Amino acid sequence: MIARRTTALLSLPVLLAVAGLAVLPLVMIVIWSFWRWDPSIYWMRPAFALDAYGSVFGTDRFVVMVRTVRLAVVTAALALFLGYPVALFMERFAASRQRNVLMLLFLVPFFTSYVVRTFAWRLILGRTGLLNTLLIRLGVLSDPLEWLLFSEFSVQVGLLASYLPFMIFPLLLSFGRIDRSFIEASEDLGASFSQTFRHVILPLSAPGVFAGFLFVFVMALGSSVEVQFLGGAAQSMIAIMIQDVMRVLNFPLAFAISTSVIVLLVALLILGSRILGLDRLFSSMAR
Amino acid sequence: MTAVSRGWSGRLLLLMTWAVVLLIFLPPTYLLLISLNPGLLPSLPALSNVSLKWYVELLSETRMLDALRASVIIALLTAVATTAIALLAALAHRRMAMRWQGPFFALVVFSIFVPGVIQGLALSVIFRVLGITYSHLTVVAGHLLWSLPFAFIVLLTSLSVLRHSLAEAAHDLGAGEWQVFRDITFPIIRPGVASAALFAFLLSFNEFIRAFFLVGGQDTLPIYMFGVMNAGTSPTIYALAGSILLISFIGFALALYGLGLVRARRQLRV
Amino acid sequence: MDQRDDNPVWFDHPSNISRRELLARLGVGGVALTLGLPTLARQAIAGTAPKKMTTLRYWASGTITIEKFWKQLEEDEGIKIVFSDNGNDPGPVVSKMVFGNANDLYDIGGLQGGAERELAARNAIAPWDLAKIPNWKDVWSWAKDIPYTKVGGKQYGLPAVVNADSMIYLPDKVGKVDSYAAVFDPKLKGKTGMEDAWINSVIFTAIYLKENNLQKITNPGDLEKDELQGVMEFLIKKKKEGQFRTFWNGWEQGVQLVTSQEVWVMTGWEPIVFAARRAGVKAAYAVPKEGYEGWSNDVLLHSGAVKRGLSDAAHRLANWILGGYYGAALSKLRGYVVPTDHSVAAARKFSKDFDAKFQAETNQHVKTKFFSRKGATYWQNVRPRNFQQYEEWWQRLRNA
Repeated sequence: MIARRTTALLSLPVLLAVAGLAVLPLVMIVIWSFWRWDPSIYWMRPAFALDAYGSVFGTDRFVVMVRTVRLAVVTAALALFLGYPVALFMERFAASRQRNVLMLLFLVPFFTSYVVRTFAWRLILGRTGLLNTLLIRLGVLSDPLEWLLFSEFSVQVGLLASYLPFMIFPLLLSFGRIDRSFIEASEDLGASFSQTFRHVILPLSAPGVFAGFLFVFVMALGSSVEVQFLGGAAQSMIAIMIQDVMRVLNFPLAFAISTSVIVLLVALLILGSRILGLDRLFSSMAR
Repeated sequence: MTAVSRGWSGRLLLLMTWAVVLLIFLPPTYLLLISLNPGLLPSLPALSNVSLKWYVELLSETRMLDALRASVIIALLTAVATTAIALLAALAHRRMAMRWQGPFFALVVFSIFVPGVIQGLALSVIFRVLGITYSHLTVVAGHLLWSLPFAFIVLLTSLSVLRHSLAEAAHDLGAGEWQVFRDITFPIIRPGVASAALFAFLLSFNEFIRAFFLVGGQDTLPIYMFGVMNAGTSPTIYALAGSILLISFIGFALALYGLGLVRARRQLRV
Repeated sequence: MDQRDDNPVWFDHPSNISRRELLARLGVGGVALTLGLPTLARQAIAGTAPKKMTTLRYWASGTITIEKFWKQLEEDEGIKIVFSDNGNDPGPVVSKMVFGNANDLYDIGGLQGGAERELAARNAIAPWDLAKIPNWKDVWSWAKDIPYTKVGGKQYGLPAVVNADSMIYLPDKVGKVDSYAAVFDPKLKGKTGMEDAWINSVIFTAIYLKENNLQKITNPGDLEKDELQGVMEFLIKKKKEGQFRTFWNGWEQGVQLVTSQEVWVMTGWEPIVFAARRAGVKAAYAVPKEGYEGWSNDVLLHSGAVKRGLSDAAHRLANWILGGYYGAALSKLRGYVVPTDHSVAAARKFSKDFDAKFQAETNQHVKTKFFSRKGATYWQNVRPRNFQQYEEWWQRLRNA
């Protein structure tokens, strides 16, 4: 009984915060998404209409949503591909001082504004940028590489460079679950590093993989600066599309886009947790 | 922990690690270098031409410095509030019956999917309806909402390291709830708490669109940055980027060094 | 934490700095200060009561603040400006005006002209009382007649800046450019750019198509649905062919595209040319045979300011903005022009800070642009009648 009351008390602050700051706005967003947009008064009228949703799914807007989700998934996957080895190195191979230095290095750049950092990629990857200049001077190239900037490549580079620490740190934390004795036992039994990795380290780091993947996915999903600064002509993302719509004051549509995104992703989260057993993900591996 | 002998796998991982370091350091380092160029073009300065001109001018950019101060205050408040609430929530999640964990998780985390521009706008409408005066605190509220799911998940990850058996053993030995938390849980999840606080700080410090709708009279640094990027600026923004890079570098290095000293001393005592 | 005073009209607190300045000016020096005399006694020594100051919060594009030159306004009118940058992105800005808290926070707005209609419809802004703005009568007549600044016969927007846009180009790469055809020239594939907003890019394309008789268009600033379709299909085709290196947003990106020679021709703002030249890059601004796109950045009176009793102060500010000094300062800082000849007179009067010859030339330069071809300057239009279709087509272009 006391234990249950403690649990309730512990969850009270977060429930209050979420109810006031997240649920209440969400209810408004959902209600307004069913209102009807009236261009003649530049405003919306109370209604229960599906006009806005018709516009989300009937036009090119759905394409933008799918494309944004795809880009976010690819970014998260690449971040995992790059971040996992780094975290693994720090956990398994680095001496404690080297580990500290690396942690320092993975944090420090992110205090400078990501807007200017993203802008810097234009100066580095551009036709007359650092990289092309260097490659031409070294004689590797005779003409600058055009695809380095204003391409999917540059967008991906910008996104990864912006959000990688959000992959690395959760992985490092999850490695803490891995009892050194497991690894030693595995190695004593003659397992190679790759075997130990596959059978011991990888399964136990699942919570970190999940957390890091979700973080990078969400941040890429909401990004607009990387695409605007580094993408080709007039590229779109969900965030850019919503601002385009707000520019013409079509608020029901802006809210309908948001509602659709939220519903889609929460459904994915719930589905994922059923299939992958995320419920058990964060429970201790040993009771 | 000591370094394990590195086979080819270790060397490969080391190589990838430095590649990632290069990737994330290229932009800020480049900014640092061009901030030393006294000219107006954002390009590398000739060695003979290196100058601190923009750093001197930086000191007179009062609007920028006011925005920087506001952002630091807001990010600190966000980090403290977020970490505290998320820690309690994560502890609660762990104690809950299994069937409640899923819904509770979804409730805390779902707001991560709400597009920032809509979240900011909706919150500002609610604050307006409630007659709340806009200040740093309204920005903190918006940033809290954004960083809370991150901190919560980080702490859950960190808590999953902890074995129930450990706490049970302590309970059996007669330790109270608080004592178990203080002596067993907290020391183990300390890196997680630090990560959660750092994440919250960074998310708040870099947040633009939510703050845009929630600020009172004083703009935050990202709002200022967006403004000048859109409307014209001087290379002082590169000097600011350079300064922040150096200051956070030195600050963290000192903090790590200090922590190392403390730890060493503690070990000596034992 | 936040220093916002809830009462917007406040007497200047005897803050140390202003007091020190006041005392210093009167030769009293810091002595009285260090003695810690009570405020009243110090005022007696100084001989004047502190000047009554009204604070106005100005929320506008960062291009139109005159930074340290606002000091003159404090002396002239007793108005202190607290400037906040609105980020210059009309979507969030207009949303914050009609939906969010902009009217609680700021008294005066500055926005790319054209949003007046819906801001007035939503009661976010109030009309100006031109009788209280004596300098209005000297505003260049064609600037007074910009269509979108009036709603229902009332003046809601005061054009604080007017200009006409065309193309920035690199003469060393492309020779002389005098037509928008350069932006769409297949020979320059991958070397051209436009702005990432239909507000600008659709009208430029429409001007090009109309004036070269490639498509029948009545008013490039306010396209009919079928006209819009033709213009957008042309743009989409060009985009698919890889004509554009990128589309740009905002000042810093625009300057960088030119100075790094990423693009050789792009539609955009003239001050980018000045910035590029200052940075040592040879850039030029085209005089297009098809004509320019005219635009204004308008001063708006927030209805919140009226409610707070700041209407009078706001009108004094508006009058001051059109009074010359502001124009001289803005031209000096940014190369932008306030549509009045008072700025030349002010530059002459304050010759220590400004150059009257430069001012006269700058004013003339903008005037010439507007009269380069009789009647062929098309006003930018943030809200064409079919603006919803504009937005939908723009989305299609983004996806193409």
